[in-house]
Amino acid sequence: MMIAAYGLSKFFPIRGAFRSTASLKAVDDVGLKIQNEQVVGLVGESGSGKSTVGRCLIRLLNPTDGEVLFDIPDSELAEYEKARAAAATERLDAIADRFSLLRRSSSELRPLRRLANIVFQDPYSSLNPRMRLADIISEPMLSTQFCSRAEAGIRARELLHEVGLPEFFEDRYPHELSGGQRQRVAIARAISTNPKLLILDEPTSALDVSVQAQILNLLRGLQQKYGISMLLITHNIAVVAYLAEYVYVMYAGKIMEWGDKRKVLRDPQHPYTKALMSSVPVIGETMTRTVLRGDPPNLVVPPLACRFHPRCPVAFEVCGWSADEVVEDLEYLLAGKYYGTFGDGVHVATEGDRTIVVQGTTDAQRISELVAREQEEIRSLKGIKAVDVTADATLIHLHEPIEPDMYPSTDGREVKCLLFRTGALVPAATS
Amino acid sequence: MATVTESKARFDELRLSGKVFLSNKTAVVGLAIFLVFIGDAFLVQVAPGVLGVQYPDSVVPPQFTQTNPECVGTAPEAPSFNHLFGTIQYGLSGIGCLDLLQLVMKAIRIDVAISFFIVLVGAAIGTVVGVVSGYFGRWLDEAMMRVTDVFFSVPFLILALAVGFVIGRTLVNMALALIIIWWPLYARYGRSLTLSTKEATFIESARAAGSGRLKIIFRHIMPNVLPPVLVQISLDVGTVILIFSTLAFIGFLPSNALVPELGAIASIGLDFVALGDWWPVIIPGAVITMFSLAVNLMGDGLRDVIDPRRRS
Repeated sequence: MMIAAYGLSKFFPIRGAFRSTASLKAVDDVGLKIQNEQVVGLVGESGSGKSTVGRCLIRLLNPTDGEVLFDIPDSELAEYEKARAAAATERLDAIADRFSLLRRSSSELRPLRRLANIVFQDPYSSLNPRMRLADIISEPMLSTQFCSRAEAGIRARELLHEVGLPEFFEDRYPHELSGGQRQRVAIARAISTNPKLLILDEPTSALDVSVQAQILNLLRGLQQKYGISMLLITHNIAVVAYLAEYVYVMYAGKIMEWGDKRKVLRDPQHPYTKALMSSVPVIGETMTRTVLRGDPPNLVVPPLACRFHPRCPVAFEVCGWSADEVVEDLEYLLAGKYYGTFGDGVHVATEGDRTIVVQGTTDAQRISELVAREQEEIRSLKGIKAVDVTADATLIHLHEPIEPDMYPSTDGREVKCLLFRTGALVPAATS
Repeated sequence: MATVTESKARFDELRLSGKVFLSNKTAVVGLAIFLVFIGDAFLVQVAPGVLGVQYPDSVVPPQFTQTNPECVGTAPEAPSFNHLFGTIQYGLSGIGCLDLLQLVMKAIRIDVAISFFIVLVGAAIGTVVGVVSGYFGRWLDEAMMRVTDVFFSVPFLILALAVGFVIGRTLVNMALALIIIWWPLYARYGRSLTLSTKEATFIESARAAGSGRLKIIFRHIMPNVLPPVLVQISLDVGTVILIFSTLAFIGFLPSNALVPELGAIASIGLDFVALGDWWPVIIPGAVITMFSLAVNLMGDGLRDVIDPRRRS
């Protein structure tokens, strides 16, 4: 196994006036594995935390929590996972001490830097404008003491040739190059120390479409020639479809689904993946898009349980509806859409986490009917478990949310959606 | 072989730089005037006799006492072939006359040297403070920037005068006072340049390549911070001369120090303006302006040379 991450989390502190009071949960409990010589795609919309995952894996950022094992034999990894399942701390530590990237000091990390490198999205800012291309490409070789300065110069020329640039470019400066040429230089730099793992952070997003294909072909050629493992971070499904074998789908800092590329792309299971794939146009077909409502969630205060539930078209009772979410929609119904029925004086408020009080009406019957009628359209109403009446108000009780896990699907992939929980209550939405 | 191609590459670099600079005509004029100033300063330093300058460190000859037989009692002479810049009388009662051209030539050496000294030392201190503060950030940044704020909050002329009256009014102390005023400017500039460079992904990719902090500062931050700072230095040399000749003019240098400095000379010349003698004030002033202007024009040209994006 090239790299394996468990429970990887990165919380960015938000600076208050004096000290940080809250944190942005950019990546939360992410697990990810890349086999030797395998290309794995990581897709998701902007802000889903996919770049942060890439940076945490090679410790350009230090994760808040989790474990990253690098270049670990499969037998050891199997042992590690067994120990993890059994919560055998001693055994875990013994293995992690040998393979964990997070337990390395920065000086211990330096030789490991040879084995992993990264290509960034924007080739205009990822090359130092004041360095010659030869120096740019030599930098990783020199700082990891991969070879001597003289050898690095020779190898820089070879690498320029390797990525399809003329060797006399070695004396040029980045501003003399086009975007595609710059990205080739960035790739040459990344592979200069013969790495086993390459993180590609949106490698083609900043390029013209015609150039994107060239860069993808270059990457594929290098991957096949040297057997480099790659993590391809992108929002472009077509790029993943072209290069990757496995795909992880990320949303709001969590992995939603992962599995074989063909299965995930052709037959997505998770409602989010379905919506994502429906946005990809297919030639010769009429698009049937699932348009998601609302915006990606605020990651400082992320949604309860499943992070996708506020936008999910099939969310049901236990997906994580909070009292606030239900209050917002109830208010719209009682004081807006059904104003004629309930009139003035209806006031909806939360009472604790799981109870809502509707002041000004005791007509539980009508509210129940209304909820039953609207809940296919307004999914948050699914979260209502029971409607009670007191002397002067109506009490609404909510379901207890269930935190979704990665549930193995029948065909070898894993989906983080309660719909796939074995023995789950039958989701009314799917009928 | 490698060294041959390398030196050739370096030579091509220089030639390109020269070309870019020479294509800017006003910058070339600036450079020419600047070179005249530098040449004068250099000659007065090593061989004052060539220019006919004697006693280069003082306004008056050391043995200058009560009389100068050439022109006792006469009024200052207007510019003529004998005295291109005219003459001035030293002392209100006409103790003797001095050739203004000679005086100006002596003063240029001191003014040029002092303005370079102030700006270079100030820029060195300020840039180091700025880069360290910008790169390491956090509490160090806060602490250093609040200190520079303190220096910024006092109007610079007042601060310079205050420093002068505390540590004494001499030429060297005036330079020190101005360095104290000048470094915070560079600290802010260096910090802002560092901050914008630090966020570029090539820094991140240097970290991914295993480069340490020092290497990142010297290989990546400094080469991107220094060129704009150099341009700023070349522009500031023209500004600082205005400020310290102002200080000298309003009397920072005590009049009995007899330092040949353009502002001080103009200050002596002020005594004669009331009599309708314009040259003792206008000429030193014009020389200051010329220097300031030339340096600014040159700085503009340098900016083109230093920015790799403007040279292709």
